[in-house]
Amino acid sequence: MSNKGARNLFIFGSIFFFLIFLALTFDTMKQIDARSPEITEAVNEGKQAWHKYDCIGCHTIFGNGSYFAPDLTKVTRDKPAGYLKAFLVNPRKTNPNSAMPVLGITPSEAEKLVAFLDWTSRVDTNGWPPEPVLAAMRKAQTGGIAVYQKHGCASCHIIGGVGGTSGPDLSKAGARHPNPDWHVSHLKNPAGTVQGSAMPAYEHLTDDEMKLLSEYLISLK
Amino acid sequence: MKYESQKIAQNFYTFAVVLFLVQTVVGIIAAIQFIWPDVLILNFNIIRTLHINALVVWLLAGLMGATYYVVPEESQSELWSVPLAHFQFWATVAAVGLVILGYVWMGLNPQANSPIFGINPLSEGREYIEAPRWADWLIALSVILFLVNNVMTMFKTKHWTGIQGTLVGGLVFLTLMYLPGMFYTKSMVKDQFWWWWVIHLWVEGAWEVIAGALLAFMLMKVTNAPRAVLEKWMYIEVGFVLFTGILGTGHHYYWIGTPGYWLWVGGIFSSLEPVPLLLMVWDAFRTTRENRVVSNKLGLFLATAHAIFNFVGAGLWGVIHTLPQVNKWTHGTQITTAHGHLAFYGAYVLLVVAMIYITLPHIRGVTEYNQSRGYRSFWWMTVSMVFIVLTITGAGMVQTYMERLLGLDYVTVKGTYNLWFWIFRVLFGFGFLYGVGLFVLDYFRLGREPVTVASARFAEKAA
Ligand code: HEC
Ligand code: HEC
Ligand code: HEM
Ligand code: HEM
Ligand SMILES: [Fe+2]
Repeated sequence: MSNKGARNLFIFGSIFFFLIFLALTFDTMKQIDARSPEITEAVNEGKQAWHKYDCIGCHTIFGNGSYFAPDLTKVTRDKPAGYLKAFLVNPRKTNPNSAMPVLGITPSEAEKLVAFLDWTSRVDTNGWPPEPVLAAMRKAQTGGIAVYQKHGCASCHIIGGVGGTSGPDLSKAGARHPNPDWHVSHLKNPAGTVQGSAMPAYEHLTDDEMKLLSEYLISLK
Repeated sequence: MKYESQKIAQNFYTFAVVLFLVQTVVGIIAAIQFIWPDVLILNFNIIRTLHINALVVWLLAGLMGATYYVVPEESQSELWSVPLAHFQFWATVAAVGLVILGYVWMGLNPQANSPIFGINPLSEGREYIEAPRWADWLIALSVILFLVNNVMTMFKTKHWTGIQGTLVGGLVFLTLMYLPGMFYTKSMVKDQFWWWWVIHLWVEGAWEVIAGALLAFMLMKVTNAPRAVLEKWMYIEVGFVLFTGILGTGHHYYWIGTPGYWLWVGGIFSSLEPVPLLLMVWDAFRTTRENRVVSNKLGLFLATAHAIFNFVGAGLWGVIHTLPQVNKWTHGTQITTAHGHLAFYGAYVLLVVAMIYITLPHIRGVTEYNQSRGYRSFWWMTVSMVFIVLTITGAGMVQTYMERLLGLDYVTVKGTYNLWFWIFRVLFGFGFLYGVGLFVLDYFRLGREPVTVASARFAEKAA
């Protein structure tokens, strides 16, 4: 090939591929809005707060960003809004072990940030993040463990090394609180049992579920 | 050095070298914060912003310096306007200084970043392009002045060469690809879509084109290889970079809310991206073999090392996680960090370092210089970086397995299972800092200290 031929191949080839890229971009722009929920004013203001506090400097969203803190794409799937709002306003008060600093987020900003994060959690991401293999397996459990799994306690609590860190480790919950009635009243009304608790209330559990769950909890020693 | 105005390159090199040192120091602080988050009043996000912004700015400054050297030489003329180049340099330094002060201020008082007329004054809160909107305009203006100066130089003599044309073409592409990062979108999906135009089309498009042109220039300069052969292969390499790299952007559009066809487009085209990078390695070895007269041994060594680590860091460490089947599990884990470090180091840090070692002796007016410190600094930096990358690849594999596959919590994996990896990264980080220190020292001493007998003989033998 002559030098001129190589040069022309480079120039016109690149233009060719760029045009295809532009066409795909055009098509993608048309499809994006249909793949995500409606953007309300609260969602937009939440996004602006996201930029203002540079959340991406520690977190990822849609898997992109920094790898210092957990991905937040689907965080509202596992954590109730009330807990998240309390956490954002004062992470260290809600979870003393948290490595997230107090940034000065106001309650109204927290509200909008949660609206924004709820929006991202409902975007169609082609199945990302994938469900972990172990989580899929655990669905086959029965008894108190099944109730524990069903209501997503593991997204905040660890038992035997597995689970989230937003609440205390429950591996020895039975040793700390051996009385099943304590667990029932705590589950029904956490803030009424433990002052300032940020744990969501579970008063909607059936009596059967409540019995199985509290028995399971006191068995953890 | 043939033209007096090429000296302006040195201003940019000095700025680059100093920022490289800053980048490395804040990198170590960021690494310590993984173990001890509250070690400093500035939170991790601010330190990380300083780390990656210093990186991008010093690499750009280094490439600008290199361009101010290459364009007069290729055009066979003095630069169009030396005062304009000086103005552009000092304006860039001032703007960068202001932006850095803004980040520190925001670290001390996050509320100071509250929007004024809809614009966050201190940080845009978007990775890599954190610089606020007003600074975007200043940066764009600086780059345009820089381009005008070089293009006018080329027009003065109309002595067109392939190297110079490709270099400026890459720079124009770079400038245009800064624009998609300069508008606000309400949808986070669109935000990330355009953001990747900037990030991906820079490092896997425009910057690789620039690297291809500078590689040809460096090989020609140190081995006296015939221009025609070098330029032909250069066109083929940079052509393949863009044929695969443009549609390869799709490897960032798998999971952000974009249509499913990107899994096919991104997977296929990005898998081919290592091919042109391998071609560059072959090109470096072929040129060395066919033209055995080497005028600057360290320079040739670094240029070849750049080609090799560009292939390993960008090509190999990139391709391992680029297929959607793999990326589904590894996306956004420490595997990405490992790849990011080796790719930037091999492709662009070594490129700028090699350009400095090849052009600085000419600028300082010496034909031989003490090369031993340059080799030592190379080995300290490279061995440390390779170990940082292996460490973080290990952390990424543990994270992918335990968090993504087994479903353990992010915080547990980071705090318990990966703790030793974070400690090793800090230790190797100090090794890297020592290498950078040697490089900075050598930069200021090169051509200004007596050449030892041993290395003078070395240069003689080579000549
Ligand atoms: C300096 C780094 C940093 C910044 C900035 C930061 N975070 Fe965090 N964030 C963390 C860390 C670390 C955690 C993990 C919590 C822990 O250690 O338990 C976290 C946890 C979280 C959680 C999960 C809480 C839970 O219990 O599951 C949410 C939600 C969150 N952050 C939202 C945000 C938002 C929104 C912003 C921006 C307004 C933000 N973060 C800014 C470091 C940061
Ligand atoms: C959104 C996070 C969250 C969820 C979901 C959650 N908890 Fe909690 N939990 C907490 C927090 C925070 C505390 C600490 C404050 C307190 O004791 O109430 C806590 C405390 C506890 C304690 C007391 C631990 C101790 O050592 O004192 C038990 C027991 C407990 N939770 C059980 C459960 C069960 C069972 C579920 C599921 C039905 C559950 N939690 C769901 C956040 C959560
Ligand atoms: C010199 C060239 C390159 C550089 C400097 C580079 C750098 C980077 C960086 C810094 C990131 C992380 C971005 C972020 O912070 O979110 C990244 C991501 C990525 N790169 Fe590269 N890269 C290069 C070439 C390549 C090549 C050739 C491939 C593929 C063959 C590749 C594949 C990827 C993939 C798949 C990701 C996404 C990782 C994830 O899903 O989290 N890169 N690259
Ligand atoms: C002393 C050596 C270094 C140390 C200890 C270090 C440490 C770090 C740390 C801790 C992060 C944050 C990663 C995260 O969010 O999880 C980071 C990000 C980054 N660093 Fe470094 N770094 C060093 C040198 C370098 C060098 C030489 C380069 C360029 C070649 C570089 C390029 C980057 C990039 C591109 C990112 C952001 C993208 C990513 O996380 O993948 N670093 N670095
Ligand atoms: Fe990419």
